[in-house]
Amino acid sequence: MNAIELHKLRKTYTVKQGSGFGRKTAEVVAVDDISFEIPEGQSVAFIGPNGAGKSTTIKMLTGILHPTSGEASVLGLVPWQDRSKLAYQIGAVFGQRSQLWYHLPPSDTFELLARVYNIGKNDYRKRRDMLIERFGLAEFLNTAVRKLSLGQRMRAEIAASLLHNPKVLFLDEPTIGLDVVACQELRDLVSEWNRQEGLTVLLTSHDAGDIEAVAKRVLVINYGRVVLDDRVVTVRRRYMGSKILGVKFHEIPREIRIPGVTVLKASSYAMKLEVNTEVASIDRVIHKVIQAGPVADITIEDPPLEEIIAHIYSRVNEPDYEEEVIGLS
Amino acid sequence: MIASLRKYYWIALMAARTNLAYVGEVAARSVFLAILLYIYLRLWTITYAQSNATRLGDLSLEQMLWYLVATQSIYMSTPKVAQNLDQDVRTGTLAVQLVRPLSFPLYYLWNALGERSVRFGITFLVGSIVALILVGPAPLTVPGYLLLLAALPFAFCLDFLGYFLVGLGAFWLEDTSGVLLIYQKSVMLAGGLLIPMELFPDSIKPIVQALPFSSIVYGPAHLFVHPDLAELGNLLLKQGVAICGFTVCVWFVWTLAVKRVHAMGG
Repeated sequence: MNAIELHKLRKTYTVKQGSGFGRKTAEVVAVDDISFEIPEGQSVAFIGPNGAGKSTTIKMLTGILHPTSGEASVLGLVPWQDRSKLAYQIGAVFGQRSQLWYHLPPSDTFELLARVYNIGKNDYRKRRDMLIERFGLAEFLNTAVRKLSLGQRMRAEIAASLLHNPKVLFLDEPTIGLDVVACQELRDLVSEWNRQEGLTVLLTSHDAGDIEAVAKRVLVINYGRVVLDDRVVTVRRRYMGSKILGVKFHEIPREIRIPGVTVLKASSYAMKLEVNTEVASIDRVIHKVIQAGPVADITIEDPPLEEIIAHIYSRVNEPDYEEEVIGLS
Repeated sequence: MIASLRKYYWIALMAARTNLAYVGEVAARSVFLAILLYIYLRLWTITYAQSNATRLGDLSLEQMLWYLVATQSIYMSTPKVAQNLDQDVRTGTLAVQLVRPLSFPLYYLWNALGERSVRFGITFLVGSIVALILVGPAPLTVPGYLLLLAALPFAFCLDFLGYFLVGLGAFWLEDTSGVLLIYQKSVMLAGGLLIPMELFPDSIKPIVQALPFSSIVYGPAHLFVHPDLAELGNLLLKQGVAICGFTVCVWFVWTLAVKRVHAMGG
């Protein structure tokens, strides 16, 4: 069963341009007839450049915004018509906007949320204690939010959004501003929750690390349209068609010149090569590398997802770019 | 229904507790109130002396100062409803509350009531201490306190609705501070903050009394120094009518506004 379904969802805004008597109104298309489905329990990264329509889509799916046309359902409910009913079944974290009470400890916000979501006393205690343990909140549970680090605050934010046991979690740039360690902790927690509790996750982020760690599927949106829909691993494989080869030698190797291979970094006994697999096959390159000198170690890596995303964005911005929406098989 | 009331009661409780974190700010305001009350005392002392009257507008000098303690406490305890709502609309923070099973206007109302109860309590306490020192406890009566407490919740609700309407202007206006200034000055002047209604010129008194502002400030403060059950009945009726009218306006404007919520933050 699908947790989220969108069919030709569209949102336009009327904006005023110019000033004085010459002021005119123009229609801006924020979301342009997008359609996709997300099955229950799937984790999806919803990415795109600034102004692509990500937040507008999420806000329509949470019932905050009314669409101009089209249909959508979240857990069988129409979000903008059944906002209150849906609110009991979804959680949302907006990375730049806190739901925690700034001058009070997270424990107080939890108490309030228990009342807001009508959670029974026993259920609340069980759920709260589990979240405290899993999210490691005990050490700062009774400290005012204003005194917490950003990483601690975001852990508390996500725990608060899971308190009422939602079936779908919307994460809008949850790791923005976090350091590497805090980012990793948060990704692990969301990923674990997705796997163990069957939580459906729709994540927007500009951080490729979030996408890799949390999502199995990636939806790329630009100018309000879905321009790519595929598995994260497939996107990585398909979109760059390259591998990074790291080689260490016992002796100084001979010069390597192979069409489709670029030397990214080289020292006396080591080098990093980028292999365009459409031009040169990996086994041929490895064969040539072994011929160049005695190999001590060799590693093959995929290129960083940041580069893939940058590549997709640059392609979809090209005027002659042919829309390529790849359905999941 | 009970569960629904319980969630809003908790919101008020959280807002009240949050405001205890601002005791320093409220205390600083109270110092300002102490200075203000001393200046008022000097001004009214001269006014009473110059007019050779022991009572003005049916109030003695002592009652006048206690009246001012009540009006100033009501006015100075006003939460920043319009400014906060304006910010929430412009920054998109509104979204955080809209994804919850809550009524956004009711969330704001109970938040404001919780905040105001703490601010009013502290300001009124400090004002009372200053008035006790300056003029003594002469006009204080138990009925006065009870009638003040009976009229205040409705006065606060009515005032909230006014500020909330101003804040909703952010959905259409570039800047709501101009409208806010007009509303604040209307409460101040037509509400009887500085002068009781009885001292207004006869030509404008009926107009000012018919406006809802007097039900926010003058009404509860006058009952405090001049307790009268019939006056309480009239005041509650006026407050009730004004609250109904303002609620309809808020409901209508909010229904239009919520369709204009824009996605912020790309």
